[in-house]
Amino acid sequence: MALSIRQRQTDAVVKMLNLNISVVSGGTADEEVYKVLILDRFCRDILSPLIRVNDLRKHGVTLFFTIDKERQVIPDVPAVYFVQPTAANVERIIRDASKGVYETFHLNFSSSIPRSLLENLAAGSLKGDCTQRISKVFDQYLEFITLEHGMFSLGQPLTYVQLNDPHAEDKDVEMTVESIVNGLFCVIVTLGVVPIICCPKGGPAEMVASQLDSRLRSHLNERNNLFMEAGHLGSSFQRPVLCIFDRNFELTAALQHVWSYRPMVHDILGMKLNRVVQGGKPYELDDSDPFWVANSSAPFPKVAEVVELELKKYKQDIEAVNRKTGAKGEMSFDEQELLGNTKHLMNAVNSLPELTERKKMIDKHTNLATALLGEIKSRSLDGFYNIEDDMLGRGSVDKNALLSVLKGKGTKEDKLRTAIVYLLAVETTPATEVEAIEGALREADIGLSSFLYVKKMKSLNSTFAAATAGNRNNLVDWAEKLYGQSLSAVTAGVKSLLSGGRQLAVTRAVEALLEARAGPETEAYLTFDPRVPKSSSKVHIQGSFKEAIVFMIGGGNYNEFLSLQELGQRLQPARNIMYGTTEVLSGKEFVEQLSTLGTKMGLGGSQGVIAPAM
Amino acid sequence: MGYARDRTQDFRECVRAAAIKQGMDQANLTKLLSSLMMPKALQKSSFLSAATETMKSINTLQSFVLARRKDYTDRHRSTEQDRDNIEHEVGLFVKTCRERIDFLKNTIGKDESGGQTGWISGLICSSHNADLVAHQHGVVLILSEHLHSVTKTFDHFRAARFQEAIEKSMPRLRKGASSTKNMKDYNYEMNQHETMEIQELKQDQLEEETRALQVELTNLMDAAQETERKMIEMSALNHLFSTHVMHQAQQIEMLYQQALDATENVVKGNKEIRKAIERSKSSRTFLLLFLFVLPFALLFLHWYN
Repeated sequence: MALSIRQRQTDAVVKMLNLNISVVSGGTADEEVYKVLILDRFCRDILSPLIRVNDLRKHGVTLFFTIDKERQVIPDVPAVYFVQPTAANVERIIRDASKGVYETFHLNFSSSIPRSLLENLAAGSLKGDCTQRISKVFDQYLEFITLEHGMFSLGQPLTYVQLNDPHAEDKDVEMTVESIVNGLFCVIVTLGVVPIICCPKGGPAEMVASQLDSRLRSHLNERNNLFMEAGHLGSSFQRPVLCIFDRNFELTAALQHVWSYRPMVHDILGMKLNRVVQGGKPYELDDSDPFWVANSSAPFPKVAEVVELELKKYKQDIEAVNRKTGAKGEMSFDEQELLGNTKHLMNAVNSLPELTERKKMIDKHTNLATALLGEIKSRSLDGFYNIEDDMLGRGSVDKNALLSVLKGKGTKEDKLRTAIVYLLAVETTPATEVEAIEGALREADIGLSSFLYVKKMKSLNSTFAAATAGNRNNLVDWAEKLYGQSLSAVTAGVKSLLSGGRQLAVTRAVEALLEARAGPETEAYLTFDPRVPKSSSKVHIQGSFKEAIVFMIGGGNYNEFLSLQELGQRLQPARNIMYGTTEVLSGKEFVEQLSTLGTKMGLGGSQGVIAPAM
Repeated sequence: MGYARDRTQDFRECVRAAAIKQGMDQANLTKLLSSLMMPKALQKSSFLSAATETMKSINTLQSFVLARRKDYTDRHRSTEQDRDNIEHEVGLFVKTCRERIDFLKNTIGKDESGGQTGWISGLICSSHNADLVAHQHGVVLILSEHLHSVTKTFDHFRAARFQEAIEKSMPRLRKGASSTKNMKDYNYEMNQHETMEIQELKQDQLEEETRALQVELTNLMDAAQETERKMIEMSALNHLFSTHVMHQAQQIEMLYQQALDATENVVKGNKEIRKAIERSKSSRTFLLLFLFVLPFALLFLHWYN
C-alpha cells in the first residue's frame, strides 16, 4: 500500500470539483456540468501545485475567482467554494448567497468547520432568505499543501518563532500547537490510516503528539468516524509510523549551505510552491518535468554536465530530422529514397511538437543552472559549503579557514549561517575563537542577534550539541585517535570517496525508528497509539515499519527531504518515507527567524530570561 | 481514500434551530425545511441549454467513434467503402458540432431576456457583466476542447489506416518482382530444351514476343502500383499537413485579432494621454493666473481699507 499523498489529495480535489458525486467514468452530460470555483488565498496555494488550469476545465470549471474580489452575478451556474472555515469567509458566503450571485452553492471547507460558525452561517442565510441556495456543506480535510509525491507543508509561517518566543504566553503557544495538530489531522484523514506516533521527549513535539493522539482517539470513538474502511488494518505491521520532531533537534540542517540541484534551486533562487521566477519569467518545476525528476538530487557540477549532454543529444536529433527530410536541399530521384523520404517526413512532422517540448525544458534548466552558477560565483558559495561540510564531518574547525571565509565574499546571511553552523558543529568552543568570529562578523557589519541567540541556547541546552555528536564518521574518529592529525587529512579524503558518509541526525533517528532498534538516541522516545485503549500501559511495536511519515515542527527544507528519500531507498527492503513540515524555509529565512528571536530576547542579554520549558 | 464529511445535515439542523429561535411560525418552518430538502429545478438560460445540447451531441459522436472503432481499424472486418462511409459521417458530424460551437460563441453576451435588438441594448449589455461573458467563453472553450480530443482520437485511427494501406501495397511489389523472375527462369529453361528446328525458331520468335509483352505489362503494373502507393502517401501527408495548417490558421487569426485589439488600445491610450496633457496645461495656466491675480486683489483690499 504505497501512500502517495499527492495522489490522494488530487483524487479528493477532483471529487470535490465534481460536486462530491462519485466520479462516474464516461460521465453523462448532466445539467450541472459547468461550474465556477471560488477560492481563498490559502486554498489557492493548496491547489496551485496540484492542478493546472487546463485540468480544471476538464472537470467543467469555467472560471475561478478569489473570494475577496467583487464578483458579478452569473445566473444558473452552481458555484463550488473551497475556503478555510473562518468567520470572514462565512460572512462573505452569506453576502454572496443573499445577493444570489450564483444559482446554487456547494461549500467545501478545507478543515472541519466548528459548530458556532455553522450556526452563524445558518442564521445569516435565514436572514437573507437564501437557505435553499446552499445545497451542500462539506468538510474536506485538505488543509495542507502537497509539493511532491512524498512531501507536504502546512503553510503555517513563523511557527518556530511562535514556539520559542521567550515572551510568548501559554495561550499563544496552545493556539500554534492546535493549528499544527489540525493540519496533521487533515493529512492523516487524507491518507486514510491511523499511524503510530513517535516523538522525542519534551518540547513542542511531545505536545503536538499527545494532542494529536487525543484528537484521533476522540474521533475514532465517534460513530461516523472516517477510518471505518481501514478498520481491518489493525496490526502495526501495516500502519505507518508518524515521527514528529522539533526544529531544535537539529538546527544545522536548516542552516547549512546545500550542493544538490533541488535544494539549491529552492535556497538560492527562491522556489515557492514549485515555481521559480528567473529573469522575469516563471518556470514550473514538478513531476511532469523528467529532467527535474531525474536530477534533483545530483550535485551541482553533475547537473551542468547532464544539461550539456541533453543539449548535445537534442542537437543531434534535430540534425537527423533535417537530414532525413532533405531540408538541406539535396535532391535525389532514387525511388527507394523518395519512399523513405515521405515516411521520414511524416515522422518528422509528428515528432516536432515533442522536440519543441524538449527544447523548452533544456532551455529552462540551462537558464536555472546559469543563474545558480552566477550566484555561486558572486557569493563564493562553494567555499561556505566546503567549510560547513568539513566542520560537521570532523567536529573541529580550521580556524583560519573559517575566519578567511567570513571575511571573504558572500552575503550577510551566508556568513551568519556558517558562523552558527560552527557554533553547533564544534563541541567545545573556546571563548577566544568565538570572540574572533564575532569580531569578524561585526567588521562585516552583520547583525549579531541570531548568533548570540544560538550561543545562549547552546549554553542552556545540551541537546543541540548532542545531536551533532554522532555526525562524525567513525573511521575518522579512530584514525585521529591513533595517528593524530597527519592521517586525518588522508582519511578525510577517503571519507569523501565513501559516498557522503555524513548523515543528518533526523535521518539516523528515523532509521532507528523504522528498524525498531533501540539505539542510544531513540530510547527516550515516546510512543502513542490512538487505536489502543488508554488503559493498556505499554505500546508494543511489533517488527519494523514499512512506511514512515516524518514531520518537522518549525520549518524544513529540501535537503532533509532528499536525505530521507535516500534513506528510504537504501534500506532493505525499500521503505516509503514521507516528509512534512509546518513551512518550507530557506537558510536565509530561518536566520531571519533566529534573529527575530534574538531581538526578542534582548540580544542574548544576560538578564536570564530563560525560555519557558517547552 | 481521503474522506470528506458531509455536514449538510448539521447545517439543516442549525437552520431549523435558528428559525425556531427567530420565532418563525409553523407553516413557514415546514415550507423552509421542505425547500431545503428538495432543491428547486434549475432554470436554464437559452445559452446554457444550447451548450448542454452541443455537449450531448459531442458525446454521441464520441460513443459512435468508439463503437465503430473495431470495425474501422481491424483490417478484415469491413470493406474500404464501409470505412469511407464512416469517415464521411464522422466528418459531417464534426462539422455540425463546430457550427453549433461557433453559433454559441457569437451569442455570447447578447441579451437573452428581452427580444430587443439594436446597438443601444448591445451597448448596455457589453458593460453589464464581464464575469458572465467570461463564464460563457469558458463554456465554449470546454466544448471545443472536448470536440478537439474526439477528433484527435479519430485522426489516430485514420493515420493507422493509411499506414496499413501503404504496407499492403509494399509486399505486392516484391511479390510481383519475384514472380516475374520465376517466369523468366522457367522460360529460359524451357528454351534450352527446345529442339532447334525452323518451326521452333518461329515458336521462339513468338515466345520472345510474348515474353517481351509480359515484361512490359509487369513493368506497367509495377509502375501503376508504385503510383498508387505514392498517391496514398501523398493523401496521408496532405491530410497531416491540412490539420496542422488549419490549426495554425486558427492561431494566426487569433493573433491577428489580438494585434488589432492591441493597436486599438494603443491608439485609444494615445488619445487619452493627449487629452490629459491638454487638461494639465489648461489647469496649469488657470492656476498661475489665479495665483497672479490674487496678490493684487489682496493689495487692493489692503489699500482700500
